[in-house]
Amino acid sequence: MKIKEGFIMAEMKTLIKIKPKDYKAGDVVKIDFMAMHPMESGMRKDKDTGAIIPAHYINEVSFSFNDKLVTKMVTWESLSVNPVLTISFKVPSAGTLNVLAKDNKGQSVESTVAITPKG
Amino acid sequence: MERRSFLKSFGAVAACATLLPSIVSAADEAKKVTGPNEMNIETAISAITGGKAVTPSSKVSLSAPEIAENGAVVPIKVTVTSAMTDKEYVKAIHVFATKNNNVRCANVYLTPANGEASFGTRIKLGGTQDVLAIAEMSDGTFLSGKQNVKVTIGGCG
Repeated sequence: MKIKEGFIMAEMKTLIKIKPKDYKAGDVVKIDFMAMHPMESGMRKDKDTGAIIPAHYINEVSFSFNDKLVTKMVTWESLSVNPVLTISFKVPSAGTLNVLAKDNKGQSVESTVAITPKG
Repeated sequence: MERRSFLKSFGAVAACATLLPSIVSAADEAKKVTGPNEMNIETAISAITGGKAVTPSSKVSLSAPEIAENGAVVPIKVTVTSAMTDKEYVKAIHVFATKNNNVRCANVYLTPANGEASFGTRIKLGGTQDVLAIAEMSDGTFLSGKQNVKVTIGGCG
């Protein structure tokens, strides 16, 4: 896969999915966080020049609900390209879920999703 | 042939013979690419546990495909049986690919707000190897679960 030069994390596409779609307060739901990130391991060579492509990967992801930390992850280059991270979450009430992802080049991206339990 | 010139040429050959192996080994080493965070499994585990024993347990279930056709995308899922209350919960789940250049995949720090101790992702595997999950419980014990994954095409390099 050819990665375009100068990947900017702030422009990275992210997606947060909640499964199942309908849930009540007190239910345990699955939260998928997807990010379109190259996740370079630092071991791959450029096919044209033979130079090693420097490592570039997401190294920290934190999930927080209403500004309270739920899960913090330290991730490494062994995650696949465009990683998907799934956690469980017990919905206490309505609120906002915030996911902050950082990479090893100091860039970060924040995405939020509204938690709206039904019933 | 005069003695002087013979010694000269002999010396050159001897020098070549001694130099050659070192050149070959240097070239071999240049071919071997090491990642920026290279770490083996023993070092990685002791860094997490601090020398404490890790017990294999059926409480930690790691599901991964037995045969992965493509090592670049191997879906894994770790579930740890726990009540996830304030008193008793899973502090962290650590996932390792035991034969990758950097064995560490993800360290997931959980809280009771998770409700269930589970973590899923997709990882890269450089070859056929064991995937190991270590769960750090709130009482300070370490439980582990692992599964072997056969990889037909590697995901690194």
